[in-house]
Amino acid sequence: MALIANVTIGILAMQGAFAEHQVMLQKLSLKSRMVIVLVRTPEDLARCDALIIPGGESTTIALLARLAGLLGPLREFVKSKPVWGTCAGAILLAQSVEGAKKGGQELLGGISATVARNGWGSQIESFEAPLEVEGMRDPERPFQGVFIRAPVVVALHPSPSDPPIQIVSRISASLLPRTQTLVPYDEDDTDPRDPRTIVALRQGRHLLTSFHPELTKDDRFHEYFVRECVLPTLA
Amino acid sequence: MSTPNSQPSGIATPPIQGAGNSAGTPMLAPTRSTQTKDGANSSLGTFGVKSGLAQMLKGGVIMDVVNAEQARIAEEAGACAVMALERVPADIRATGGVARMSDPKMIKEIVDAVTIPVMAKVRIGHFVEAQILQAIGIDYIDESEVLTPADDEHHINKHAFKVPFVCGARNLGEALRRISEGAAFIRTKGEAGTGNVVEAVRHQRSVMSEIRKASVMNEEELYAYAKDIQAPFHLLKETARLKRLPVVNFAAGGLATPADAALMMQLGCDGVFVGSGIFHSGDPAKRARAIVQAVTHYNNPKLLAEISEDLGEAMVGLTITDGMKGGRLATRGW
Repeated sequence: MALIANVTIGILAMQGAFAEHQVMLQKLSLKSRMVIVLVRTPEDLARCDALIIPGGESTTIALLARLAGLLGPLREFVKSKPVWGTCAGAILLAQSVEGAKKGGQELLGGISATVARNGWGSQIESFEAPLEVEGMRDPERPFQGVFIRAPVVVALHPSPSDPPIQIVSRISASLLPRTQTLVPYDEDDTDPRDPRTIVALRQGRHLLTSFHPELTKDDRFHEYFVRECVLPTLA
Repeated sequence: MSTPNSQPSGIATPPIQGAGNSAGTPMLAPTRSTQTKDGANSSLGTFGVKSGLAQMLKGGVIMDVVNAEQARIAEEAGACAVMALERVPADIRATGGVARMSDPKMIKEIVDAVTIPVMAKVRIGHFVEAQILQAIGIDYIDESEVLTPADDEHHINKHAFKVPFVCGARNLGEALRRISEGAAFIRTKGEAGTGNVVEAVRHQRSVMSEIRKASVMNEEELYAYAKDIQAPFHLLKETARLKRLPVVNFAAGGLATPADAALMMQLGCDGVFVGSGIFHSGDPAKRARAIVQAVTHYNNPKLLAEISEDLGEAMVGLTITDGMKGGRLATRGW
């Protein structure tokens, strides 16, 4: 890898688990020097080469972003620079959302997918499960996925004009919590084509995960984002 | 910025199943596992997902609401969760009598009205109220001193539940005792229903100063200190190493203004609960939104000044004395 002088990665710090992402990024050893910015204003965002939108409450994060004058700049940012959304961040990156709050909620878009909020049910259905992730360091070692009131990918909307959608990880259907809200897809809920088993996907330089790599001690997902999505844009 | 708890599991002692069941507590399976063909496991209700939800609430405001309409106002104002209860603490003080868990029907109406997590309170030690709330799919339970205690000696064995618990604490020892019982989230007790932040400040300052003290102690001193503050040694040691509580810590009890919220954040809290302070004020929607903004921008006095402008009447505050109506709630809990 060529030596790159500086990369500035922002973490949207409106509400939620932004400090956990900061700790994970600080642990990465990279050949390039990384600057981490907690983004609270449009000026903070303007310094960034890439952005992580953390877990939290998507309605709260969107409202605070609007009140801070960040919604417009964020939508512009998503059009040109790499963004990774975890959980609530994944909801904000989606093209459309099911189970939004009454009156709808604001999204940033960027990934051609529809996600359902709290897709597996309430907190009682929150779970941990091992995942196989394509393209990650030490692929034989599963990544522990922490799913907390997690969103679920319910549809992909590929289009020739958009970058292709690449599935980075699917959860084994047999590991999913059985809830009343889970209606079999095509009469068979173990169907490998079921979009609801997708827990990580990439489109262009954007990354979406419905789980929380920042709640583990495993920095491989953060390394993956920086290596696969961020550094190539600076080369 | 405080160091986050980046350790999802293995902090608290493992769930006790079937043992020590002298009180006749029906032991609910704390985790349910499913397996794939090749033997991989997934599990529900781990300590990681319990404390993890609290981590997702950080930097947010959890608001007391008494009906679906207030819950919607709170959600629109940017609350990261709501606490469903029949009477806010100020009204519990005013009306007196025994305060209990709310009607499940009213809680379900609030759950149906909003998309954010819904919490509800149970009396200290009342594990059946907790079983009922778990059965209706509540997201978090507050084992709260604001309600009248049901047990004057024991708290709920919170490891026995899939639903996570938040508990109040006045000092480090109390916080670690609650975590040892399975609480995945701690808040200051403050003095609920007073609109007076002084007790919340006292409790947060105690916790922080005791953590600072412990963080420079050697092992022998930690053993003695654990005995002194009546805290489990392994949790005290972990706290000393992290230089913070091993779970998320919010402020609660008496917060009424955006400045109160920012004060508690600057004192090291991860987020805030606001009870009577919102819906007992002149313009609840506006005040709620201002407090939400204040928690995000707690270190920006210029912005705090703008946020604090023109919010209408704050709730009427009370001076905290032993003789005040409803008495001191913070002394409940053991």
